[in-house]
Amino acid sequence: MSKQIKLWQGNEACAEGAMYAGCDFFGGYPITPSTEVAEILASLLPKAGGKFIQMEDEIAGIGTILGAAAAGAKSMTSTSGPGFSLMMELLGYGCMAEIPCVIVNVQRAGPSTGLPTKGAQADVMQTRWGTHGDHPTIALCPSSIEESFKLTVKAFNLAEKFRMPVILLLDEFIGHMREKMEVPRPGELEIYNHPRPKVDPKEYQHYADGSSVGGPYAAMGSGYRFNITGLTHDKHGFPTARLDEIQWKMDRLRDKIDRHLAELTEVEEEFLDDAEIVIFSYGAAARSSQQAVRQSRAKGIKAGLLRPTTIWPFPDRIVTDVLKKCRTMLVAEISQGQLVYEVERCNKSSTPVVPVLRYDGEMITPAQILKAVEEAQK
Amino acid sequence: MLDVNIYKSEDQSAWCPGCYNFAILKAVRQALASLDIAPHQVMFSSGIGQAPKLPHYLKCNLFNGLHGRTLPVATGIKLANHGLQVIAEGGDGDGYAEGGNHFVHAMRRNPGITYLVHDNQIYGLTKGQTSPTSEKGLVTGTTPFGNYNAPEHPLALAIAAECSFAARGFAGDSDHLAELIAQAIKHPGFALVDILQPCVTFNKLNTFQWYKDRVYQLEPEYDPADRQKAFARALEWGERIPLGIIYKKDRLPLENLLPQLKPGPLIKQSIGMEKRKELAGQFR
Repeated sequence: MSKQIKLWQGNEACAEGAMYAGCDFFGGYPITPSTEVAEILASLLPKAGGKFIQMEDEIAGIGTILGAAAAGAKSMTSTSGPGFSLMMELLGYGCMAEIPCVIVNVQRAGPSTGLPTKGAQADVMQTRWGTHGDHPTIALCPSSIEESFKLTVKAFNLAEKFRMPVILLLDEFIGHMREKMEVPRPGELEIYNHPRPKVDPKEYQHYADGSSVGGPYAAMGSGYRFNITGLTHDKHGFPTARLDEIQWKMDRLRDKIDRHLAELTEVEEEFLDDAEIVIFSYGAAARSSQQAVRQSRAKGIKAGLLRPTTIWPFPDRIVTDVLKKCRTMLVAEISQGQLVYEVERCNKSSTPVVPVLRYDGEMITPAQILKAVEEAQK
Repeated sequence: MLDVNIYKSEDQSAWCPGCYNFAILKAVRQALASLDIAPHQVMFSSGIGQAPKLPHYLKCNLFNGLHGRTLPVATGIKLANHGLQVIAEGGDGDGYAEGGNHFVHAMRRNPGITYLVHDNQIYGLTKGQTSPTSEKGLVTGTTPFGNYNAPEHPLALAIAAECSFAARGFAGDSDHLAELIAQAIKHPGFALVDILQPCVTFNKLNTFQWYKDRVYQLEPEYDPADRQKAFARALEWGERIPLGIIYKKDRLPLENLLPQLKPGPLIKQSIGMEKRKELAGQFR
C-alpha cells in the first residue's frame, strides 16, 4: 500500500483522527476557530454509519455526547473558549459519572469573546480547574498537524481506558495551519476499546473496585442495569451519604491519575543531554521554541527543548529533574503565563525560571524566544 | 421626528456587500427618529452573530454581550432603569438556539423590551450552518446531506409563551419594517419582531425572490387580539407568509408590576440605608 500524504490543517487532522479512532458520535455547536472539526465530521461520520448532530448550544453539545457515550458510542465534541466555558458543568459530570468522551478545545484569545479568529494558549488552567470540585483531568496538546491526528486517537484511547472525558487542547494556530502529514495505515496506531463485563448481570457493579482504569464497564441498555448520577455514589452508581463510600469515590477519581502517572506522562525532548538553557513549551508555541533552539545551537548556545504532549497530568518529575540539571529554564507560552506556575512549583533547585510570553493574538516568534535565550546566556 | 442621521456611527461595517442587515439598520434608525428617541435615551443589548453587530453601527448605548444572553442582560437594564428604551437585537441562532431558554422566559415575564430578531434561517458569522429556523432539506456546512429537522415557528412559540406583542417584518421592505419596529417600541411590554432576512452569501434557498414571492401584509380587518387566529397565522409558512402584527395582548409589563419601581427607576431612587438599618434592627 502506497503512502497516503495529506496537506491537512490541524482541525482537519483532528476530525480524521477521530474517524481513525472509531468515533461514531459527534454533538456540538459551531464556533470559530473550531467549526471545521464539526463540519468535516458532519460529512464523514454519516458516510461511515456514525451520527453527527448540531445542537442548540454547547451545553447541549456536551450533553448529547455524554448520553451517547453512556449508551456505548465513542463520542466527541469540539468547541472554543466561550463554548468550553459553557461545557464546564457537564465536564465535571462526565468526570464524576466516569463517562469516556473526547472534548476538543481549539483555543482562541480571550477572555470572554476576545479575538475569535486569533489564537492563544490561555485555557490551560481552565482545562485543569474549570469545573468545580476535586476531579481528575487528562489533557493532550499537539504541536503539529500529524500530532493533531495522533493525539486525537490517543485521547479516545485514554478516555476509554480511564473512563473519563479527555481534553484535546488545540489552538487556533495549529487548528488552522496546513502541513504535510503521512496518514497512519489502518492498524498502525493502537485503538483501545474498553472491555465489556462478562459477569452475571445480577452481580454487575458499574463502579466495581478495579474497574476505574482498564477494567470492564457496560453500556446502558446492554443488559446490565445500573444508575449514573452526578451525586456522589456507591459502586452501583446510587447516591450515597456514607462517609466511607464518599472517601472511596473521591480516592478512586484521584487515583486514576496519581497511580498511573508514568503511563500518562509524555514529553518530547530535543538537545536536552547537554542543555544549559532549556525551553519548556507546548502546542503552537513549541514550534517557535523548537526553531529558537536550533538557532541557538547554530550560535553555539547549548539550548534544549522540553515539550510535553500530555500537559495534564503535569510531568512533575521530569520537569524537576531537568530543572536540576540546567542553568535556566524559559517557559514560552501564548498567554500571560499559566504553566510557568506549574514549572515553578516543580522547581526543587534554585534554577531561574523565566517566562517568555505573547498574548496579543499573534503567534510567539522564534526571534522573541531566541532573544530570551541570549539574555539568559549572558 | 428627529433627523435619522443623528444615529449614524463612524464604525465600519463588517457585513458582506449586499447584506440585508443594512436595510434593517436603516429601518431601526427610521423607527427611532420617528419616535423622537435621542441616541442617549436608547440602550441596546445584543449577542453574538452578524445581527448583533447592528448596534455597533448605530449611535446609541450598547451592551454587546454574549452569544444567546441578550435577553437576561436587557431585563437587568430595564429593571435597573426602566426610563430607558431597551432594545435587544440578535439573529435566529443567537435568539432561538443558544438563547432559546431565555427567549421563552423573557416573554413570560413581559419586561418592556423590544426584541428584534434578524431571521435569515442560517448561521452567517460561522460561515453557513443550519439554524433553528432552517428549512428541512437545507444543505449547510453541518447538514451536508440536507437538514433533517423541522424548523421552529418563532411567532407561534411566542404566542404560546405569553408574548404580548408578536410581529413579523421583512428586510426587503424596510419602510414597513420601520413602522413595525416603531409600534414594537411603543408597546409597553415585551415586543418581538421576527425579521425575515435573505442571506446573500450562505442561504441560497431563502433568497430575496423566495421571500418576495411569499410574503403578504395582514389584511386591515385582521384582529391581532384573537389568540387562536394568531396561532394560525403564526404557523402559516410555505406558499404564503404573513407580515405585520400577528398577536397583541394588553398585559402589564414586568416593571409596572413591581411595587419597588412605582416611585421611579431603581437607579434614581435613594438606596434606602435608613430602611435597611430598621430591618437589621429587628434582629437585634
